[in-house]
Amino acid sequence: MSVVGSQPDQPLPPASLDSRAAALDVRDLMVTFHRRGRDLPVLKGVTLRIEPGEAYGLVGESGCGKTTLAMAAMRYLAASGTSEGRVMVDGQDVSTLSDEALRKWRGGKVAMVYQDPATALSPAMRVGDQLAEVYRYHEGMDKKAALERSLESLRKVAIPDPASTLRRYPFELSGGQQQRVVIAMALSVNPKLLILDEPTTGLDATVEAEILDLIEELQGRINAAILLITHNLGLVRRLCTRVGVLYAGRLVEEGPARDVFTDPRHPYTMGLMRCVPRLGMNKTDAALQTIPGTLPALGEPLEGCVYSARCPMAKPICTRREPDLFAWPSDLPEQGRVAAEALPPDPAAYSPHHAEPLGVGPRHSRCYFASDVPGMPETTPVLASSLEERGAHEGDVLDIENMVRTFRDGAKKLTAVNDVSLSLRRGETFGLVGESGSGKTTLAKCVTGLIAADSGSVVFEDMVLKPTASRRSQDALRAVQMVFQNPDATLNPAWSTRAILTRAVRKLGGARGGSVRAKVDSLSAGVRVEPRFLLQRPTDLSGGQKQRVAIARAFAGDPTLVVCDEPASALDVSVQASILNLLVELQTREQVSYVFISHDLAVVRYISDRIGVMYLAELIEVGSADEVFNPPHHPYTEALLSSIPKLDFDNPGQRIPLRGTMPSLSEPPSGCRFHTRCHRMLGDICEQQEPPVQQASDGHTYKCHIAPAELLAAQTAEGQPTA
Amino acid sequence: MATTGTTPDRGDLELQVNAAAEAEQRRQRRFVVRTLFRSPTFLAGLVILLFWIFMAVFSTHVTQSPTNTGGAILASPSGAHWFGTDDLGRDVFARTMAGAHTVLIIAPLATALALLWGGIVGLIAGYHRGLTDDIIMRIVDAFLALPVIITAILIIALLGRSYAVLIVVIGALFTPVVSRTVRSAVIGEREREYVMAARLRGERSAFVMAREILPNITQPIIVEGTVRLGYAVFTAATLSFLGFGLEPPSPDWGLVIASEWSNLQTAPWVVLAPALALASMVVAVNLVADGISSAFSK
Repeated sequence: MSVVGSQPDQPLPPASLDSRAAALDVRDLMVTFHRRGRDLPVLKGVTLRIEPGEAYGLVGESGCGKTTLAMAAMRYLAASGTSEGRVMVDGQDVSTLSDEALRKWRGGKVAMVYQDPATALSPAMRVGDQLAEVYRYHEGMDKKAALERSLESLRKVAIPDPASTLRRYPFELSGGQQQRVVIAMALSVNPKLLILDEPTTGLDATVEAEILDLIEELQGRINAAILLITHNLGLVRRLCTRVGVLYAGRLVEEGPARDVFTDPRHPYTMGLMRCVPRLGMNKTDAALQTIPGTLPALGEPLEGCVYSARCPMAKPICTRREPDLFAWPSDLPEQGRVAAEALPPDPAAYSPHHAEPLGVGPRHSRCYFASDVPGMPETTPVLASSLEERGAHEGDVLDIENMVRTFRDGAKKLTAVNDVSLSLRRGETFGLVGESGSGKTTLAKCVTGLIAADSGSVVFEDMVLKPTASRRSQDALRAVQMVFQNPDATLNPAWSTRAILTRAVRKLGGARGGSVRAKVDSLSAGVRVEPRFLLQRPTDLSGGQKQRVAIARAFAGDPTLVVCDEPASALDVSVQASILNLLVELQTREQVSYVFISHDLAVVRYISDRIGVMYLAELIEVGSADEVFNPPHHPYTEALLSSIPKLDFDNPGQRIPLRGTMPSLSEPPSGCRFHTRCHRMLGDICEQQEPPVQQASDGHTYKCHIAPAELLAAQTAEGQPTA
Repeated sequence: MATTGTTPDRGDLELQVNAAAEAEQRRQRRFVVRTLFRSPTFLAGLVILLFWIFMAVFSTHVTQSPTNTGGAILASPSGAHWFGTDDLGRDVFARTMAGAHTVLIIAPLATALALLWGGIVGLIAGYHRGLTDDIIMRIVDAFLALPVIITAILIIALLGRSYAVLIVVIGALFTPVVSRTVRSAVIGEREREYVMAARLRGERSAFVMAREILPNITQPIIVEGTVRLGYAVFTAATLSFLGFGLEPPSPDWGLVIASEWSNLQTAPWVVLAPALALASMVVAVNLVADGISSAFSK
């Protein structure tokens, strides 16, 4: 079989070669958006097939076209997009459906679970009415029967007290319960294909784990095929048998999830696997690998292989002609390379891409050098220096004592930070973890003065800081800075990057005259923002570049302490790694201390020297990163750690489910605040008495009634995953 | 700029990239402008508005004299007098065209004043929130509760009739509405992280409001401004109609309608011409406003 140019003119084979139609059969799908007078190709010919009952994971970073593919499968594409190619669901060509048939078909044959459950449900309708509508519309039931079926469907997704949930409005439910309702709705009419678009991304780790349990459990009982769209490889590992990796609108690798993750055969997959911090890694002993370059902008023209511009293995041939989706293992990649090299050096000979996989086999890779991928060269980022070298021996730079902050919600009083004390040494990173509503961000804002604490003190280098930023001296402001979460809001869109940094250098760095420009240049060079970006506005920068500028801004006055509130959480994994490396590098160079907030435990473990765990406004455990992540540790920490979906196929770990939901901050439980959800509850003592502070080791303390020795015995006996 | 310390090479690169960035911004601006000029709504409004602006400036050169009483009294439309003549024998076409002049002075200036005052009030209320916001917005609410025309009449009765008084009164009465729009836009921006970063930099409130927030809320302000302009045309005409605008013999539309309405049955053209002219200008301003707000949202 000739490898090159064999396909373009071949007619598409009939849709269903085997008797069972695929749950989803996408052929050479191309989707182009039109924005502000420009054509932006988002999907550039994607072919994939999901068998009935199969769970398929589609991974890739933002802008690669994952969600667009789902939208095309649902025929939800906006009027600003055009598509070519064919999408078949259960043997039905989606494009031929009439409007009425389309309505019946959505929810009947195919259903979707969206990223944000709060916007997927109508806020003005009771949950019961929304669910019943599906049965009434699709199965023509009367109201009473439909409500009964709705009740049944809520039972199926294990919602506590389904009968009362039916009568509630969505906003009365927690995020996890809302997502359960959305899943119940999606499954109500036995779809052939269930699309899950980042189903747990907005949820806390423990809630995410519960939803994953639910989906995993439902998989056995429903006969729907699943298309899981996510950036989280751990999720795919848990739920999917097959995985496809999408990059810049092209499928670059596909195969059984286990094979692809344990032995990636495309440099992009390899890069993704390497740049995610594994639980247990720390900045002093392992550097995060990064993917060079940046994600291509939507519609950016790419020559040859879509990944060649960032590929550490790229050869000249890669930019000349795009590789096919070659079967692996086989000699097709080699044949393809030889054939491509034989082409005349004439752009006209660069035949159009081939969407169809080439060769038969369970795995495919769009790389000429698939056999060399395991030996892909590593990047060499900077390792962090030791805590001593960073100046930790010089003593504390920050002491927070008995900080309290309450908010009012009507008549209710919410205590967001309750009597928190902690200290931080020079050059040290203090990681703060906890679920949303635990008070991490409020604590951080009290430290920087964006919010005034009600009581308690913030002592910074022997001076007591005023509670609000507007009353602090310029020197105190300079020394305590903050890096924010949202790269799209952190920079003023009306200012150029240079203007932003210039203002920071003047106000915080106190620079005047000619030194300003030099300082801005060195500052931007320090965070590796190329000079050309200084002239652009934030809207023209990528998320990672924006965050680099925001970091440079915080460092304009040589700060002593920088509070980082989820600085990499909104970024793609490859960008996240480079931002974490930058923070580590700056710390090593400038001896700065960080308070680092993140919901991602692996990231916190990686970057932190010490970690504090917050639950319901209280700091319940503090210790070195290593100590907190290993037994004996607080039962809540133990549960949090067990909830992370891990990438390890052979040792996925045992999950500890938490009971119930997070109690309200206005009425925290008596005794130990965690007792309502604790799996190690001793009895009445937990409900009645506030737990003592237990000393597990020097500098490692936690609040629990169980003594360290007993806790250690219990937590190691059951073979809990450790890090 | 001489002490940059950058190498010539990098300077060149910066210039090139600067050019590229500017080109992209120009392209974006051009796109908005092109969308505007492809929008039938906007174009129709613009053509009508330009017509009236032209007439406001040049009508005395292209029509007969609006004050010449030489013609027959209340004559029907004819070749000599396209819209007929009024009860003093003046050419109605000439008077209608000249009538655009007063409206086009009063309405834009009043709108500009309302944007200035409303912008300041809205920025302060939206940025400070809390007690400041409560006090300012209750006062604004109180002003909103006043009936516009009656209040305007009272103030004009007190201060006398003149261009300046009309402009200031209409501008003041529109201030509360504008300040509400600006306030809600500010509230959307003030919680954004770049504003927090400015506070952590020790910027004064005035700087944060004027330099950080204001440039990011220009779109709602422009849209509000065009909508207000339509209302200002309307309000100016109403005040004239009620006898609290300009004084005769001004060809102001509201004034003409008021003084000629008794002839409506015998010579409808005398009233219809200025009435339709007024309607066309209000509609034109609204069409332009619609066109602009939809071009921004694309």
